[in-house]
Amino acid sequence: MAGFEILDPTVEPRRQPLTYVPRPDSLKGKRIGLVENTKFNSDKLLQRIGIILKTEYGAAEARMWRKHNSSVPAHQEIIDDAKQTVDVVVAGIGD
Amino acid sequence: MTARISSQRYAVEGFQEALDLCYSRGWTDGLPVVPPTEPAVRAMLDAVGLEPDAQVAFITNRQVAISAEKVAINAVMAGCRPEYMPVVVAAIEGIADPRWGYHGPATSTGSAAVLTIVNGPIARRLDFNSGDNLFAPGWRANATVGRAVRLVMRNVVGTIPGRLDRGTFGHPGRYTYVMAENEAESPWTPLHVERIGCRPTDSAVTVMAALAPIQFYNQLSSTAAGVLGTLCDTMRYPGQIGQPNYCVVLAGEHMRTIAADGWSKADIRKFIFENTTNTVAHFKRTARMPGAVKPEDETATRPLVQSPDDILVVAAGGRAGSFSCFIPGWASRTSSEAVTVVIKERSA
Repeated sequence: MAGFEILDPTVEPRRQPLTYVPRPDSLKGKRIGLVENTKFNSDKLLQRIGIILKTEYGAAEARMWRKHNSSVPAHQEIIDDAKQTVDVVVAGIGD
Repeated sequence: MTARISSQRYAVEGFQEALDLCYSRGWTDGLPVVPPTEPAVRAMLDAVGLEPDAQVAFITNRQVAISAEKVAINAVMAGCRPEYMPVVVAAIEGIADPRWGYHGPATSTGSAAVLTIVNGPIARRLDFNSGDNLFAPGWRANATVGRAVRLVMRNVVGTIPGRLDRGTFGHPGRYTYVMAENEAESPWTPLHVERIGCRPTDSAVTVMAALAPIQFYNQLSSTAAGVLGTLCDTMRYPGQIGQPNYCVVLAGEHMRTIAADGWSKADIRKFIFENTTNTVAHFKRTARMPGAVKPEDETATRPLVQSPDDILVVAAGGRAGSFSCFIPGWASRTSSEAVTVVIKERSA
């Protein structure tokens, strides 16, 4: 068989710059947001994390949001609310 | 069609080198693929009248555009004939629909595959199997269309086992999971006509995030309620509350028994919906719901799906044998739902 060319079936992921907010040096006095993904006990796990962040790391408060379901990103209302009301967000998923 | 195909090209000495390259790059599902040469890819594009850079679908969570060119390349690799391309394109449109919710079924430990049901004249014209050995090897259309969809998921969207695909078990339907409805012998309204109001002369695909088929046996009943009673008993116990869809596939003998009693698909759905409820106590005892069993849980019931319309009834499978099957959907109604898409055929 003579030589021939084949075509690449894949795509290069589109590159886009992502800028992360710098991590705070300390959680002291920070407001914590917890994003719960609806799986059993994920609320309990995050509540416990919130307590630890307050009692052991000095966070000021912790509040929780619940996503529509575990397979989608946090919906826009959560993101908008979190921007206004918290300094740090913890999101969790567990299987 | 002369628009440029922009995909990177690799020169190879022959078939074996092409195959080795595809394996070494991780482009296959484990089985050998057909080397995607430009003439073969052009034939795929011509079959749907799409330019190479036409966007077939966009997967939002991955921010990936699926171009006609990439669908065509993967369809060649899967072994499709060009005539299958409109079916592949429609299925890709379906899994990119926000209602199907690509990220969940593609990624989840729950291991859904893309159950693809073909309806309308195209199914018969392209020889999609709707009969004996419904899910078995041997039919090129069934084998390669589902494989093409999976290769697009792998190669274009990045749904690669162990990386973005974290299925605990996966299942064999992830190689291909395609059937046609047996419209020629079915006494009922075809699925695409029921679901989105197609004309029977339209062709369509329905994609459902689906687990493996589960077969049941009833050789004793001569009534619709008798046959479906066995189905419901089989469906009820492995069921989980909140699943989005079930597909019920009724094969020849059961189809004829149920139809002889004058039952429509709506009657079948209603019967199944009403006879597959479980008590909350059962769900709690079997750890499908949290919490201790309370006295009122013994009488409180939950259905398997939210509505009878969430049960897809399809006439398909062998003419002989007292078997039918059901196929559980994946996850929950808010995560994924079956989507039906009209197949756009290029006018001659």
